[in-house]
Parts: sequence; structure tokens; C-alpha cells
Amino acid sequence: MADAKKLAEQLKKLNELRGPVPQALRDQVAAQNKAQKAILDALKGGPKTAPELAAAAGLPADKALWYLVGLRKYGKIADVAGRGDYPKYELKAGEAK
Amino acid sequence: MSYTERIEADALVVGSGIAGLQAALDLADQGYSVAIVEKAPSIGGKMISLSKVFPTLDCASCITTPRMASVSHHPRIRTLTYSTVDAIKREGGTFTAAVTRKPRYIDEKECISCKRCEEVCPVYLPDEYEQGLGAKKTISIPFTNAIPQLPVMHPEHCIRCGACARTCPKDCIEFLQEPAPVEIKAKAVILATGYETTPMTAKKQYGLGELPNVISPMAAERLLAPHGPYGRVLRPSDGKVPGSIAYVQCAGSRDKSIGVPYCSRVCCMYAIKQAILLSGSLPVADITIYYMDIRAFGKGYEQFYNNARAMGINFVKAKVARVTEDADHNPVVRIERQEGTSAPEEVKHDLVVLAQGLVPGCDVSKFGLGAGLNDFGFVQLSDETVSSAVTAGAGVFAAGVVKGPRDIPDSVMDAGSAAMEAASYIRKL
Repeated sequence: MADAKKLAEQLKKLNELRGPVPQALRDQVAAQNKAQKAILDALKGGPKTAPELAAAAGLPADKALWYLVGLRKYGKIADVAGRGDYPKYELKAGEAK
Repeated sequence: MSYTERIEADALVVGSGIAGLQAALDLADQGYSVAIVEKAPSIGGKMISLSKVFPTLDCASCITTPRMASVSHHPRIRTLTYSTVDAIKREGGTFTAAVTRKPRYIDEKECISCKRCEEVCPVYLPDEYEQGLGAKKTISIPFTNAIPQLPVMHPEHCIRCGACARTCPKDCIEFLQEPAPVEIKAKAVILATGYETTPMTAKKQYGLGELPNVISPMAAERLLAPHGPYGRVLRPSDGKVPGSIAYVQCAGSRDKSIGVPYCSRVCCMYAIKQAILLSGSLPVADITIYYMDIRAFGKGYEQFYNNARAMGINFVKAKVARVTEDADHNPVVRIERQEGTSAPEEVKHDLVVLAQGLVPGCDVSKFGLGAGLNDFGFVQLSDETVSSAVTAGAGVFAAGVVKGPRDIPDSVMDAGSAAMEAASYIRKL
């Protein structure tokens, strides 16, 4: 674990060298967090498909799918076994709270 | 300026795809020391991201990973990943390469590959290993079987929250790391810089890469891979299981309008391979291959093609004039059949794969080593009838697709040839 003082010094020097974090990046991360929260909230109601999640989160379907697969990769959600044109996804155990 | 690391080896191999790996192993197993320089964060090249290989349908990573492991553990091979060769100078019988190690922003010696930094990083990015279909974090290990298992941070996407540094158990995040110069001296150089594919934006008629369900063959490989972005075959626009998939052959080859008049030699076979794999993953899907000619020239290839036909894959001899999409992002392919009816028609599919062509991965003429290029930027051999590896530059050899489009078995064979020629050259010095 990094020493807090040393880390703060590194980050301060980084800000001096590269300037502040660009606003576009801050906005992108804020949009990402909002979209991911909306997807996870929608899944609290039970398994859903990508288009259902897109509608619930107010996102385009391709964007919702991209966030979905990111959350799936990092262990927040899981596939639901079953057939059909659109596979369903659910929250992983422990992610519902 | 930081300290310059100096490495001496018998041979320098530029590129660590299957050709570079094989050439390095063949040389090192003969007792020669080898330095490999790879621009990507992991060795393995394009092949490590493929699902299976034709015509045997062997798992691609099952073939590549052992070679990657052998290279990384070989006592006579030194591997520099995430590094670029900036220049190579020849002085007498010695080549001196100026190499830059790009910063990963971690202490490579201390990192234990625990992935905790990746777990806590809050910023998601499109994952180029998954052809943008999946996501990775701003600090992440490139892929599951990457060698070395070291994360790379992308500072342009870092919000400097410090979460990675606070969680790292070895205190090895280095936000202020800088590029490090390396000098490699070698007696011979093997160029194995491989290929890139023609861009999805190459042709206006095929949607300029803006149609979400018109994908590249490398993206299709990732969809078919067991650990692909979706874990199954889905289309990118909405996560639907595609019921109808089409391949547009020669979408980046045999086409003077994009400067690629030659055949890329592998597209017919990878399309057939992917079609066979898709018919296994999606047994009820209709799979169509729109082709100009099928070039199944290698050992077992014709049988592979016939097997695909027997499995019900629909081969349509037709040149695709354009690809558009309907309101639901279903690609619509406009074709004119070259057999039977000749009236143009439009066919709707769920997913379309454009068979992109192969173009040189690197302009090796920038090194000024005397290795000539052909009209298309691939390395010209000094006499193809005598050797498949010797270039016009003394001590400079070529392996794999750097010489022109070829498949994996040919690239591996070439690599052996390049290693033999290089060994013979070094012995005579």
C-alpha cells in the first residue's frame, strides 16, 4: 500500500506536469457511473435483456451492451442460462445491496 | 535523460507474433542469444487473439501460449515488450538498435500480477484486444494469458484518483515513470513485424465502419473465443443472438480502389473456419459467404471447404456492391449473383463480417537496412527461388507476413527458415 504522503506528492507533481484532469474525461466517467448505476438498479428488479436494460437506463442499446459486458467482466453481473433471441443478465450474488 | 540499458545478443527479432516467436526459439535452441522487441504489452501477436485455426480447428491459444511461455522462460532469449524500435544502424557486422521502452507506470520487477489495481480502477475503456466490443480499465493486464502478466496504465484516461496506488500490496504504481532508452547490439536482424488489416473505414460502400453490426473478422474471432467479450456470439448493436450471418469476401483485397490489388490468401479460409465455428455455436443460424473465388490452396483446405458446404453453409458467388442497414441496425447487403439469376437483390442479415485484407504491419524501410520492399510495402526477398528469408540487406532476414500475406503454417515454416539463414550468417562472421 502506497504511503499517503508519497502518493499525494506524486499526484501533485503529475498535475503540475500534465495539467488538471480534462473536463471531457471527468464528464465521460460521470456518464459511465450514471449508466452503470442505472443498469445495476434495473437488474435489482430481476433478470433482463440488453434492450430491456437500455430502455430502463435510457441508453442506446449498443452503449448499454458495452457497459453490461464491462460489468460482467468485472464480476458485477452474470449471464442467465436459457434460450431466446436476447440473453438475460442478472446481478451476481452480493451485488444486489 | 534516463540511464540507457545495453543488451548484446546474436540476433534481434523485431515482432513477437507466431513468426517472431518461432524464429527466436529456433535460434535460441541452437545456442544463439536472441533479443525480441515487441510493440504490444504482451508477446503473441495476432495469433493469440484468434479462437481456432484452420483447417484443423485446433485452439489457437493452445498452440501459441506454449511458444510464448518457452520464449519468456528461455535462458537465451531476452524479451522487451511495450517497446518500439526507433532506429537500427549497421556498423561493420554489428547492428545497433535504438529501442524505447514505453512506460507501463508500474514497477515491473515488483509487480506480482495480482490485478488489484485493475479491480479498483473506476474508469472503463474500450478494450482493443476485444476489438472494442468489450471493456477494460485505465490500468489493466492486456488479456488473460498475456505474457508478461503486467498491467499497463493509460495516463490519458487516468483521473488520478490514486485508488490503484492505495490498493497495490507491493507499492509499485509509478505515476511519474518515463520512457526508457535501450540499446541492443546484434549480429543479425530478423524482421517479423507481421500485418495490419485494411481499415473498416476503407470503403464507403461498406459503411465506413459506422454500421454497428458490420464487424471485422478479428472481432468475429473474439466473439467466437471462449473468453470473448460477451461469452457467446451476440451482435454488438443490441446483444441479440444473430440468426443470419453473412461474410463479404474480398472486402479489403483484390480491390485497386483501396490500393490492395492482391489476394490476402487467408480470408477465404478464415471465413470458412468462422462459418463452421458459428454453425457449431448457433446451430439454427443461416450462414452465407458471398465470394468472388474460393482459394483453398493448402493441405486439407479443399476438404475443409467441402465440409463447410456439406454442413449447410451457403456459398453465394456474388460481388457485394454495398452494405447498408435498416432502422433496426440489420445490415442489408446488395448483391449481384454471378451464377443463376443476374438481377441485383438486397438481402437482410443480422450480422455481417467484412473480410478485410492484409497490409504490412510496419514500414521496415525506415530502418534503412537494405531490405527492399515490393510495390505494396512488403519485404522483397533477394531471390525467392533460393531462400524464403534472405533479403538484400546483409544479415537482415524476414519471417512471416512481413514478406506478404500468408497463413500460420507458412509463417511458422518461414520463421524456421529465417532462423536457419540467420544462424548460418552469424556462424560465418
